[in-house]
Amino acid sequence: MAAADLSARTVSAARGLWLPLAVLALAGLVALGMSLSVGSASVAPEALWAVLRGEGDALSRTLILELRLPRSLSAFAVGGLLAVAGALMQVLLRNPLADPYVLGLSGGAAVGALAAMLAGLGGAVISGSAFAGAFLSTLLVFGLAHGTGSWTPARLLLTGVVIAAGWGAVITLMLALSPADRLPGMLYWLMGDLAYARAPWPPLALLAAVCLLLIPAGRSLNVLARGPLQAAALGVNVRPLEWGIYLAASALTAMAVTTAGSIGFVGLVVPHMLRLVLGNDQRLILPACALAGGTLLVVADTFARTMIAPEQLPVGVITALLGVPTFLYLLYRSR
Amino acid sequence: MSASSLAIDRARRGAWRWPLLALGLAALPGAAVMAEGRGRCVIDDREREICLEAPAQRIAALSPGATELIWAAGAGDQVVAVVSYSDYPPEAQEVASVGSHTRVDLEALISLEPDLVIGWVTGNPSEQLETLEQLGLPVFYIEPRSIDAVASTLERLAQLAGSEAEGDQAAAEFRAGMDALAAEYADAEPVTTFYQVWDEPLMSVNDEHLIGEVVRLCGGVNTFGGLSRLVPRIDDEAVLAADPEAIIAGGMGEENRHWLSHWQQYPGLTAVARDNLFFVPPSLIQRPTPRLLEGSRILCEKLEVARGRR
Repeated sequence: MAAADLSARTVSAARGLWLPLAVLALAGLVALGMSLSVGSASVAPEALWAVLRGEGDALSRTLILELRLPRSLSAFAVGGLLAVAGALMQVLLRNPLADPYVLGLSGGAAVGALAAMLAGLGGAVISGSAFAGAFLSTLLVFGLAHGTGSWTPARLLLTGVVIAAGWGAVITLMLALSPADRLPGMLYWLMGDLAYARAPWPPLALLAAVCLLLIPAGRSLNVLARGPLQAAALGVNVRPLEWGIYLAASALTAMAVTTAGSIGFVGLVVPHMLRLVLGNDQRLILPACALAGGTLLVVADTFARTMIAPEQLPVGVITALLGVPTFLYLLYRSR
Repeated sequence: MSASSLAIDRARRGAWRWPLLALGLAALPGAAVMAEGRGRCVIDDREREICLEAPAQRIAALSPGATELIWAAGAGDQVVAVVSYSDYPPEAQEVASVGSHTRVDLEALISLEPDLVIGWVTGNPSEQLETLEQLGLPVFYIEPRSIDAVASTLERLAQLAGSEAEGDQAAAEFRAGMDALAAEYADAEPVTTFYQVWDEPLMSVNDEHLIGEVVRLCGGVNTFGGLSRLVPRIDDEAVLAADPEAIIAGGMGEENRHWLSHWQQYPGLTAVARDNLFFVPPSLIQRPTPRLLEGSRILCEKLEVARGRR
């Protein structure tokens, strides 16, 4: 009897998972379609359709397949990575203010990228150097927070925040000492900009892989979100799970920052928004974050490159302008 | 991506080796014809060879400086795209803008179908220029850092645009004008000079900088010429300690002299005591374009005034 009841609840829970995900996936597709069809150069709908069928003139093909499509896919991947990383950090640290950058990862990446720019090195080296910086920062926080024994989220958070402050000082020092002609590039990198995004496939692949890996861990994450003691009492092996989350979130953030600089806001607010609407079930929230974060960034980037075209805006401005009122509305409604 | 862009680079370099090798081997009568067949080739400021089959007819200039230079090189009519702040010559303001030099709207640029892009080595995002190259557009990188480089850039741009007559003449006039100034002030009494690029933070230039070169040419001795950074950041104290005989400032606008009144609070400065506080319009001296000749003439005259006030 009890077994039948349980299986019925699982089925309805599964159905409850699929509907929001399907809606979000549809929204993502619509956003991608919109980002392909608008831009500073106008491409007629017929021309767009011809290109998507594999025909069309050379100019429209270049515009859509070589410029808009890779950029939109990169935007989707980066948005998804940041939102999932933010959700993971919030579970790990059990702190609503946690975001992907709270433990200093973006600072490490920024120091790496700015050092490469200061040395006058080009695009691919900047990405590699940013990744190295993010990796170094992860190891530093990991090593120092792990210390000699007792380990708590509070200790991890403090270590990360202090290391982030250290990186911040190094960034300011580098900006102060850098030649004036390098400054604009550095500032745009710090603000986050998808104009610099290269191939979209590595971040997309990582996003898909991590989402698939996290689905089986969803239950444990749900328990962990209630606190490590309860989780341990319920048979979850807390320590390895926490380090796994930390490493996964770090890898996601490092990839996102390496692709498009440090774009703020998405990682903090998208998970909260989804929790307000969908409840706090990590099995649903994590894939939903991937879809919603990606959709938000695709829409924001489309606005950023078209609003005052040919001038281009930093995408972080738009994510905040779109996200702040939406978030405040949801928060207000949820009282 | 890094690997694939490297591979493209390597493929491109490899592709060059063959014609070069062919030319090297062919110490034969056909060699001249083959050289002809390679079109017009020039070396850009990243030491890469850019070859065009025919003169560029649709040129995109991705910095205000590039716009001035291409106009001066006699190919202004062939420019189809500029970026914001391309305010000289006035005709340039009527050409379509494709964003700012720090962030180019690639879509707008591509849809104008340029056949030559003039990039700025340190000013344009290198990722964007690489994207343009991957799309098959020839990118000519410029970074004129000396008086001679301005003239040589004019000549190379004219060669790519097929306006050699005008471009070479503009370059020759610029060189001759600069040489005349240099000759005129070769034996002038030295004047210690502080050139102020910006006020907050206070910035000057060193001797490597184009402006440093002009100050030297006019018989000035750049107060901060020995510093290692191209555009060093300094403070009032450093200026007081150096006590320059003349202070020359640019400014934010063309007629903005308030940077100079800042120094009036230090009557002990030689430059203040002798009223040697001079303004030179920044667009004439801070851009590496032929208008630098006019700016240099003004700067030399100011230093001459300072000599007269001894």
